[in-house]
Amino acid sequence: MVRNSSPMSLLPSHTNTRSSLQSQATIISNNLVSVSEHLSDHRDLLSSLVAYPGPDYPGRTQAGILEQLLRTKLDPRVEDWVARGRAAGSGSTPASAFTTSDAASVPAPSALAANDFKPLSDAELAELWAWAPVEANQEARRRNWGGNFTLEEREAGIENVVTGLKRQLEDDEGDEEDEEEEGDGDAEGEDEMEIVGVRRRSGAGTVEFDVAAPHHHKAEPVVPLPEILRYMTTGRMP
Amino acid sequence: MHELLLFASVPQHQHHELLQQLAGLTAMQPRHALERRLIFKAYRKPGLGASRTGGSQDLQASGDLQRVTKMLNGGMFYTQVVGPVAENDFSPSGPDADVQMSGTEGNSAGSAGAYDYEQQPWRLEFRDVPEAGTRSAVTARVMATAALPCGDVVPAMNAWGYHFVTEYVVEGDMFTYGDIVLFLHRVLHYPSTSLEDKEPRKHLPALSEMSVMEKSGSYVLQASMTVLDGSNQETMKTASRHLFALREKLRSAVKLEMADRLSLDTRAK
Repeated sequence: MVRNSSPMSLLPSHTNTRSSLQSQATIISNNLVSVSEHLSDHRDLLSSLVAYPGPDYPGRTQAGILEQLLRTKLDPRVEDWVARGRAAGSGSTPASAFTTSDAASVPAPSALAANDFKPLSDAELAELWAWAPVEANQEARRRNWGGNFTLEEREAGIENVVTGLKRQLEDDEGDEEDEEEEGDGDAEGEDEMEIVGVRRRSGAGTVEFDVAAPHHHKAEPVVPLPEILRYMTTGRMP
Repeated sequence: MHELLLFASVPQHQHHELLQQLAGLTAMQPRHALERRLIFKAYRKPGLGASRTGGSQDLQASGDLQRVTKMLNGGMFYTQVVGPVAENDFSPSGPDADVQMSGTEGNSAGSAGAYDYEQQPWRLEFRDVPEAGTRSAVTARVMATAALPCGDVVPAMNAWGYHFVTEYVVEGDMFTYGDIVLFLHRVLHYPSTSLEDKEPRKHLPALSEMSVMEKSGSYVLQASMTVLDGSNQETMKTASRHLFALREKLRSAVKLEMADRLSLDTRAK
């Protein structure tokens, strides 16, 4: 579905770039794996080896490299990497033990989201990946994408919607021109926020961009709350 | 006792939705409530020997009334007398029945429908000015409630040094959420008559004749919690924490805020 939409077709080379990136990453990772294998295979040998510069080494001019090669303690930066790697390694071990134990019953993705401190096991990840596209697609089909206004806003009258934009958004329900329009608008860079207006409104006690805001423009109470409370307390009419 | 409060103004179009949200949150059906509220105002300085005269003579016996007497003599306050009423207490035959009420006793009992002023239970609700200072963002005030005898409360109130100011009806729905009482309500006015500001009505007009005070029909959501021992900072803190938790829960629906202190000022000037 995504692949057919216009932004993707505008960039035909995109998929190629991605696959080449992927193959490069695979090569790098393979190399790293083989280096790591070599290091661990020959661990005994390497740890008992002692490096010593030959007599013809230019000790005066290349002292920096020599020190690098001969130092027994790790570079502070490298030490950080190692610590991070160790932490990541030790963090994953108990979690994987947990997930393998009950891998037979994979919980629902929503339940997984609740205890997000545990990394997902492979089975759970696979489950999530199988579940998510279908669900997202279904959710997407339920909505009418591409308009500037939600159905709720349209029902309430679009002229009342506070967008914070200077330009007028048109209600392009069933209108084919919207893509061109959007392109124009972006090109002209008119999408500046009218920040002053927004602030002024929030200063008046009602913040515009709240979740409850879509209703804001309808039938705002005429008598403010303090007046109602005052009447209820003392019977004094506002 | 102390009372901790948060308020929110609810526009009319959101009312139904909020009712459902609250029903879902509290896992209970709304309890519809109609209350007559009479406002009384102190008209003389307290402690001028009013305590042992007239109508209050027979009331002195009850323990909590004594407490209220002491409290009411502490200063000049507005205070409310609240009487729960039912929907069918509001008789459709308004003005006619009023006339009959002022006529013979037996006649009115038959025609004035179910509402019997003599049997109307009342409770006195005293509320102090909300505490000054905003150390926590809730409205906190001293409160006390006491039951009053049924029927005409005006003589008793007069004996305490209070005279009747006005009355209105509060209509709304009540929910309980943990230790918090949520009351989504609005004020209804009686259709105006000559009797209006002299004494409480003996008869209630049809509910449809009542007019909303707030013309757009908006409601007020009040979240309140009663704390028995207001001097205990720990309980007060816990209570306001509960209220804040509720406010967070309802944040996407309504904005519960502390009320303007002076709008709840009950001191009579």
